[in-house]
Amino acid sequence: MIDLSLDLCGVHLKNPVIAASGTFGFGREYDQLYDISLLGGISVKGLTLKKRLGNPPHRVAETPSGMLNSVGLQNPGVDAFIEEDLPWLLQKDVAVIANMAGSTEEDYCRMAEKLSASGVHMLEMNISCPNVKEGGVAFGVRPESVYAITKAVRACAKKPLMVKLSPNVADIRENALAAQEGGADCISLINTLTGIAVDPRTRRMVLYNNVGGLSGPAVRPVALRMVWQAAQAVRIPVVGMGGIVTGEDAASFMLVGAQAVMVGTANFMDAYACPRIVRELEAYCAQQQVARAQELVGTVRVNG
Amino acid sequence: MEQTIAKVLRCEDIAQDIFLLELSAPGIARSAAPGQFVHVAVPGAGANILRRPISLMGFDAGTGTLSMAIQVKGEGTKRLRALHPGDTVDVLGPIGRGFELRGARRAFFIGGGVGVAPVRGALDAFSGACACEAFFGYRGKAFAYGLDGLSCPVHVATDDGTLGESGIITAPLLRALDAGAPDMMFACGPAPMLRAVQRIALERNIPCQLSLEERMGCGLGACLVCNCKVRAADGFDYRRVCVDGPVFDAGEVLFDD
Ligand SMILES: Cc1cc2nc3c(=O)[nH]c(=O)nc-3n(C[C@H](O)[C@H](O)[C@H](O)COP(=O)(O)OP(=O)(O)OC[C@H]3O[C@@H](n4cnc5c(N)ncnc54)[C@H](O)[C@@H]3O)c2cc1C
Ligand SMILES: Cc1cc2nc3c(=O)[nH]c(=O)nc-3n(C[C@H](O)[C@H](O)[C@H](O)COP(=O)(O)O)c2cc1C
Ligand code: FES
Repeated sequence: MIDLSLDLCGVHLKNPVIAASGTFGFGREYDQLYDISLLGGISVKGLTLKKRLGNPPHRVAETPSGMLNSVGLQNPGVDAFIEEDLPWLLQKDVAVIANMAGSTEEDYCRMAEKLSASGVHMLEMNISCPNVKEGGVAFGVRPESVYAITKAVRACAKKPLMVKLSPNVADIRENALAAQEGGADCISLINTLTGIAVDPRTRRMVLYNNVGGLSGPAVRPVALRMVWQAAQAVRIPVVGMGGIVTGEDAASFMLVGAQAVMVGTANFMDAYACPRIVRELEAYCAQQQVARAQELVGTVRVNG
Repeated sequence: MEQTIAKVLRCEDIAQDIFLLELSAPGIARSAAPGQFVHVAVPGAGANILRRPISLMGFDAGTGTLSMAIQVKGEGTKRLRALHPGDTVDVLGPIGRGFELRGARRAFFIGGGVGVAPVRGALDAFSGACACEAFFGYRGKAFAYGLDGLSCPVHVATDDGTLGESGIITAPLLRALDAGAPDMMFACGPAPMLRAVQRIALERNIPCQLSLEERMGCGLGACLVCNCKVRAADGFDYRRVCVDGPVFDAGEVLFDD
């Protein structure tokens, strides 16, 4: 028996596989296909203080081994989530991570207060949404502002606080450190890399928003490098993501220092991606003769 | 709803740039309804990571088969065309809210181009329960399909006049409506055609269902990339084409210019 479980900032996860924010809704859709209690956790669709309609179509473009999205944080608002979606999710045996985005410190603090008073297990502060001005990306670029917003929200939050870092920055190590110094309990990365798609036939931008966020296997090498660098820079736990499709991909992120992983775009390729990755990770551990998956964390052999 | 590895039974051209894909997928065929679609993984995986939404033209719970008419557009549909009988393809479905008869006694089925496929599927499914009349538009004779075995009145229009009458399909539609309105219309096709049908339906107060298209991610309602605009009390709201549609009531859809 392989032990896949872990304790992430005081929250028990039965395995290190978490569905990534924005790709899994509030869990109901995928629960039609399999019991989402099979997963370690779910990071819900990014929430804002008030309902948001999001961007007009097109919101998605396929790119080589990846995709661009510009959903623009369409969500029912934090109150509606707590009232209408959370009770169902809390019946499931899965860690619920509330992903939140805002345009002011005040927004983030009010959401953190509301969510701390609810049954969610952890907060994930998204300061990296590339698709809306209000997505917090203004807070996510400079280390000083990462520090300031983390400190402010840490003071209002009564649940473990995970800070989701943007990859669209000068030096990921500095931003990871800034989150730690600001009081983050853990960090997650990467959010999407900004990109655009052009349709040469119509000579138009494919996405209504022009710019979108790149995800999927195309970003995996960049994501791995950033997780590796961030994990070396901080003492707090790191949750890694970006293009994970298989159990071995998940293991690679753990080897470079992630205690847990998130799976996003892979859910679109294979609706059963998350539970499959759990099984594949278990098989990988067995084959590597590792009794506890956490033994993998940070053990990659680095060349001289 | 299931994700399954389906066996290819037939993959052959039925018109210029349009091919018939017939799959064995008993679970999906058993629960499918007219106007629903399946989300098909691009064979050979590779760089095309997103599934392609394709409407069901036919499904048979008895034999467990699905049939689709697919237009070759880009890499994904090209790779689907290259399938051979005996190959396998990964499909997720059936998905979405399809066409609903809602007790209609007489219905018009309006399709344009590749949009003929789901409309023909609905016609075959409903023809036992209502009087049907078909209005199918194509670019030209070479592009026509979906006309075989129809026993109801059929009106055809082509852009170049090589089959049926020359011009757009709304011309024969308007004439037929003048002769007597049905109590339901079903339509799928290019946006300009859907807009015209919507305008006609609203002007004449005829119940009408439109099948829409939008680019998709999950196909399950979770990712919110497939939005379309619908009327709402305070202006507009977004709906998910994948699970709130692809079929919407003509009265709720808002087309942008
Ligand atoms: C509900 C629904 C039902 C459909 N039914 C059919 C059908 O029965 N027969 C048929 O031939 N086509 C149908 N389409 C359109 C079909 O999905 C696209 O033509 C196909 O995805 C194009 O893929 P590609 O790789 O060949 O083209 P590319 O242009 O290379 O595709 C690039 C990306 O854009 C997406 N895309 C491009 N055009 C469309 C489009 N019109 N709608 C949605 N996504 C698009 C692709 O899925 C892919 O992610 C349907 C679309 C929807 C939404
Ligand atoms: C359609 C879509 C919507 C997303 N929405 C959010 C969001 O609301 N909040 C957030 O923090 N990240 C969001 N993300 C980013 C993912 O959570 C993840 O960071 C990124 O996609 C990289 O992982 P992946 O390659 O496994 O998808 C979204 C990604 C996609 C593809
Ligand atoms: S494609 Fe994901 S919600 Fe429609």
